[in-house]
Amino acid sequence: MIVAEQKPLEEIRRMIAPYQRVLILGCGTCMTVCDAGGELEVSFLHNALQLAQARSGDVAHTFYEHTLKRQCDPEFLGLLDEKTADVDVILSLGCGIGVQAVAERLPDMPVLPGVNTSFMGMTKESGVWDERCAACGDCRLEDTAGICPITRCTKGILNGPCAGPKKGKCEANKDMDCAWILIYQRLERLQQLDKMRRYYPPRNYRPIPRPRRITSKAGTMAGEGNG
Amino acid sequence: MNVANQSYPENRSENASDHSLVPPCQDACPLHMDIREYVGLVSQGRIMEALQVIRTGNPFPSICAYVCTHPCEDACRRSQVDKPIAIRSLKRFAVEFGGDRMVRAEAETKHAEKVAIVGSGPAGLACAYYLKKLGYAVTVLEAHSELGGMLRVGIPQYRLPREVLNIEVQRLIRMGVEIRTDTRVVSLDLLFELGYKAIFITIGAHQSLRMGIEGEESPGVIDGATFLREVNLGLKPSLGKRVAVVGGGNVAIDAARTATRLGIKKVSILYRRSRAEMPADPKEVEQALEEGIDIIYLVTPTIIKRENKRLNVTCVRMELGEPDESGRQRPVPIKDSVFIEKFDTLIAAIGQAPQTPSDFGVRIGRGSTIQVDPSTLTTNRVGVFAGGDAVTGPATVTEALAAGRLAALRIDDYLQHRYPLPVKETKEKLGGDLLPKTIEMIKKIERVEPPNLAFEARAKDFETVELVYGWEQAINEARRCLRCGVGVEILFQDKCATCLTCLRVCPYHVPYLDVSGTIRIPADQCQACGICVAECPAKAIVLRKPFDRRQVTDELGHTIKSAAESKNKPLIIGFCCQYGLYGTGTLARLWRGAKAGVSIVPVLCVAKVEATHLLSAFKTGAEGVFVAGCGEQCARENTTYWVKQRVAKVRKVLGSIGLEPERLQVFALSSTAEDPAEELDKFVEQIGSLRLASVIKGEVKS
Repeated sequence: MIVAEQKPLEEIRRMIAPYQRVLILGCGTCMTVCDAGGELEVSFLHNALQLAQARSGDVAHTFYEHTLKRQCDPEFLGLLDEKTADVDVILSLGCGIGVQAVAERLPDMPVLPGVNTSFMGMTKESGVWDERCAACGDCRLEDTAGICPITRCTKGILNGPCAGPKKGKCEANKDMDCAWILIYQRLERLQQLDKMRRYYPPRNYRPIPRPRRITSKAGTMAGEGNG
Repeated sequence: MNVANQSYPENRSENASDHSLVPPCQDACPLHMDIREYVGLVSQGRIMEALQVIRTGNPFPSICAYVCTHPCEDACRRSQVDKPIAIRSLKRFAVEFGGDRMVRAEAETKHAEKVAIVGSGPAGLACAYYLKKLGYAVTVLEAHSELGGMLRVGIPQYRLPREVLNIEVQRLIRMGVEIRTDTRVVSLDLLFELGYKAIFITIGAHQSLRMGIEGEESPGVIDGATFLREVNLGLKPSLGKRVAVVGGGNVAIDAARTATRLGIKKVSILYRRSRAEMPADPKEVEQALEEGIDIIYLVTPTIIKRENKRLNVTCVRMELGEPDESGRQRPVPIKDSVFIEKFDTLIAAIGQAPQTPSDFGVRIGRGSTIQVDPSTLTTNRVGVFAGGDAVTGPATVTEALAAGRLAALRIDDYLQHRYPLPVKETKEKLGGDLLPKTIEMIKKIERVEPPNLAFEARAKDFETVELVYGWEQAINEARRCLRCGVGVEILFQDKCATCLTCLRVCPYHVPYLDVSGTIRIPADQCQACGICVAECPAKAIVLRKPFDRRQVTDELGHTIKSAAESKNKPLIIGFCCQYGLYGTGTLARLWRGAKAGVSIVPVLCVAKVEATHLLSAFKTGAEGVFVAGCGEQCARENTTYWVKQRVAKVRKVLGSIGLEPERLQVFALSSTAEDPAEELDKFVEQIGSLRLASVIKGEVKS
């Protein structure tokens, strides 16, 4: 899941300052799960902005709220059309993808990001999320017992651990487990410690041409370009 | 007033999106009373409203408050946690503190048809009440000199004060019901000739069953119903010194306790089974034992011989054998266990049956009861209806009231030539047991019993034994209600992102993932605390009752509106829980309007106050906002914790727009504190000075 956090209220207020009618647009998938931009947060932000406005006596904005099931699919965005006729700006609480998808759909509408998209991660406990995947496009989890050193080792090294860990914790952050110690322990448990002894050559850091595209359509012809 | 709608609360769902379920207590009640609703109102100290709800579902709540056998309490799911809610005692509290005796029932005659009611027991009186409300001329015919049937001649005064019964009778008379006492009906034809268009037979079951043993006819042997009737009509039968009562039902216990009150020192009950099988109300049995009555179990009399003005009663001891058709173990005599006891009087209370005059011409079925169609209460004779004990055999007052109400509705259908439509159940019933993991998390709160008359004082006269709750006791008892069937539901499955927040925040481990990965919140486990509703990031979860869903928002709206009308901006808005402290009046000075500048938004548990409600309160211009809950006293888990989370979130917003976070406070008050409102007073003072500071800075106009 994509994890994000809502931008500080001050920043949001600064962004919307030039516009009068603001549609706060939530996203019902990842942003809902990570408490950054679901319907509840949309309504909370709506109220917070109204309160800020009432207290400061600034420009009188008019706020509208709506939450789409998912902002990253054009069909869902189609449901937006009638909502946007009378607004000057959309404040999207979708992730960075959502913001761009909305912008792509509505060429004449300014779209503002209401959240800082942070990482791909999982829930640690209610209200706490941890990063787990860097989307490097070259997954090595088979060799590392299902623990990603790229994301979870501060140094991202492929042949760890480094000389730094103390009592299983990372030298950069003593509250954080050393990913390579975790990998070692799990490989031992799985009786695959031989994988630890192997040398992994440096990854190919040749810049991956961006943006990437994945297609699951079977009949795609070779040579069909990007974009 | 529409009686048909009034009597079946499940038909009243004016709002189609009311998804609440019928709780087990209501389902068990023969009158289908909205128990959850009135218990909830009592827990908020809203006694008058509770009485209104009670009166909607029950024609004679004061009577039920004394004598109902409370099947609702047997069905109460709180008994799976600790003990059931003391529903009857709470009703008694509501009718006494709510002023039921002051209620005036009014009705006018709209129809030309007259209806005769033969018998004035609870079924007859209830039928008269509802028929009168429906606009018919009603005549009640009673063989005895006073109205009430078994309420008058069967139930002893210490269980039902006659004053209570008299008030109900007077109310009926005021409504215009015609009363004919000392009138024994021998022929229905005559009634039809007199112009009555329909007749309701409700003659009760006054004929005692015979023991079928030798010497039963001896002087000194009397049956239970006759004995109670004589005492209740003011006679003082002479009983001698030692009295035996045979039987194990409520009549046996009533007879024994009545005998004690007549001054008999030695009263023994002979019962052929053991205490566990005794059909009498366990509480009554307990009180009988307290009063010094001796209950001899597993004994039955076989021969009675009268010698020297005393009774020699030959008894045999029993043991329990195979279960019989009633499911109880059949008592079997033990060989050579015969013994003889001497008594002055033996009261046989082994059951009663109706005795219907054959001239009535109605078909009689099993146990001498009148045969009727159970859904219309019609007999084999056109225009003749029957109900109550005469149809069911000895049953409870509440069942008789329900039969009377049903008869009134069906007689109305008959007289108006309507096809009697079966009452449709529009709501699902809530059933099933609580799961152990849920039970474990439900706070155990001791059941508050109403005080009893000291037993030394009891045996002397016929004073009521059970006393009424005090205010605080009643509220604390009512707060124990688990509110079955008004919990939450995922109303908008399409919005649900299956984020699992509900599963993680629920203190009772109620939401679960089914095998297909869909989140489920089973209605029969939900404790209606509302935490998940406020925490759901998709706003997909709602409380089942529309009223509960809107409550905080609506109340906040009222507060804001009334503040606007008075042109005084509220200085401070407080979200105050209506249960507990507020209900008991400990914080009465914080009730709406009680303190200048403080506006109270009454809420039903602070867990239902959402972060947006707090922001909205500030939006209206409030200088300070507080949330006050019951703290440790709260009947639900974790409520204060979640309010604090939301408050922290809102404080962050306040900070970022230049307001002091201290303007928002949570108070978890407990009655054990010396002055629970002291903290609040300090807060009010602090907000006052913050406002003054802003005035000086020129930020706000004074």
